Amino acid sequence: MPKSIVIHSYKGGTGKTSISANIAALYAKNGKNVCLLDYDFRAPSMQVLFKPDVHNTLNDFLEEKCEINDAIKDVSSKYQLKGHLYVGFADASTESMKDMMTKDRNWEMKALHRTLSGKNKLYNELDIDFLIFDTSPGVSYSSINALVSSDFIIVVSKMDDFDMAGTKEMIHGIYSSLGRKTGLLLNRIPTEQFPLGAGQKELENAMGKKFNLPFLGIIPCYCDVQVNGGKYLFVVEQPKHPFCQALSEVINRMEKHLEKT
Amino acid sequence: MTSEEFSNEVVKLLQQMNNNIEKLNSKLDSLIGLQESVKDLLIPEKKISYEGLPLDVATLLSLPDHLRKTALALTEVGEATATDISQKTGRVRAAESDYLNQLVTKGYVKKKRKSHDVYFYIEAK
Repeated sequence: MPKSIVIHSYKGGTGKTSISANIAALYAKNGKNVCLLDYDFRAPSMQVLFKPDVHNTLNDFLEEKCEINDAIKDVSSKYQLKGHLYVGFADASTESMKDMMTKDRNWEMKALHRTLSGKNKLYNELDIDFLIFDTSPGVSYSSINALVSSDFIIVVSKMDDFDMAGTKEMIHGIYSSLGRKTGLLLNRIPTEQFPLGAGQKELENAMGKKFNLPFLGIIPCYCDVQVNGGKYLFVVEQPKHPFCQALSEVINRMEKHLEKT
Repeated sequence: MTSEEFSNEVVKLLQQMNNNIEKLNSKLDSLIGLQESVKDLLIPEKKISYEGLPLDVATLLSLPDHLRKTALALTEVGEATATDISQKTGRVRAAESDYLNQLVTKGYVKKKRKSHDVYFYIEAK
């Protein structure tokens, strides 16, 4: 049964885009059919990583100018992936970003229904196993529309007090209100202050208690991921990188929670 | 008592009855007026119009938990009977029927009859 996963966070700069792109590619590498949608209409990024040709965007799809199949591009052959990896891009022009700011509530409601119908079309017509949304941080219409369309939310947080306080608020105010399964992923952890290894389990237990959520993993702060995250897919170019191994573990843990009814 | 006296007595009684009925009517009118003005004071929510508010994510998040669960289920399936929604939420059909009709009253959801079944749906404006 296909599953829809949203990568979300309270604040920006938590690594959502790198995580969502690499999880999508990792699934496709393992033979799954995946569709990755850039729902960060305020600051689109996937076009930087995948460098698509001129193509219909997800904005066109939401505006009913094209169907979802016309707004995604199959990039699997470029990366020699076993399964299909389709990517839907948000329009990165400033005109389009400004236009998205002017949408009213009726338009956003239509966008929600369009997202849900697009999801079903992808499941039925392209045999998608995993639909993955990258989203804007915090509470925005496009992000919440994606959350409503999801089966599982990966909430990404850094270890700073601002991010963690906001994450805790969103867990109670948004994720649980929507009744969606949610898992916590800590990213960009400074290992000088939080040495992992033997101390990791202790930190995981403390965070699990603090947030009262399933814990998906802790990813240290890797400078090369930050610098090169927009240049290439780590799971393709550097599959043995500890970042990729951490994402494999995230997937394993998430799937266990997805299996639970 | 002559017949003339009898007739006069009957006319007098009828006039008294007519006066009493008019007094009763006047009192009833006052009571109805009072009831209307008190009703306006006691049930102000009747004057709140939900017309025009879409069932978007902001509305969904503002609904009480029991209605949100129903509204989310209907949002996901698009159009459904109370039975369809109860299968999705795992709650009894009668409760879902009640919640769906509450959402109709609030103006978020519409309903239509198809043969013997009532279908609920969300209309994009």
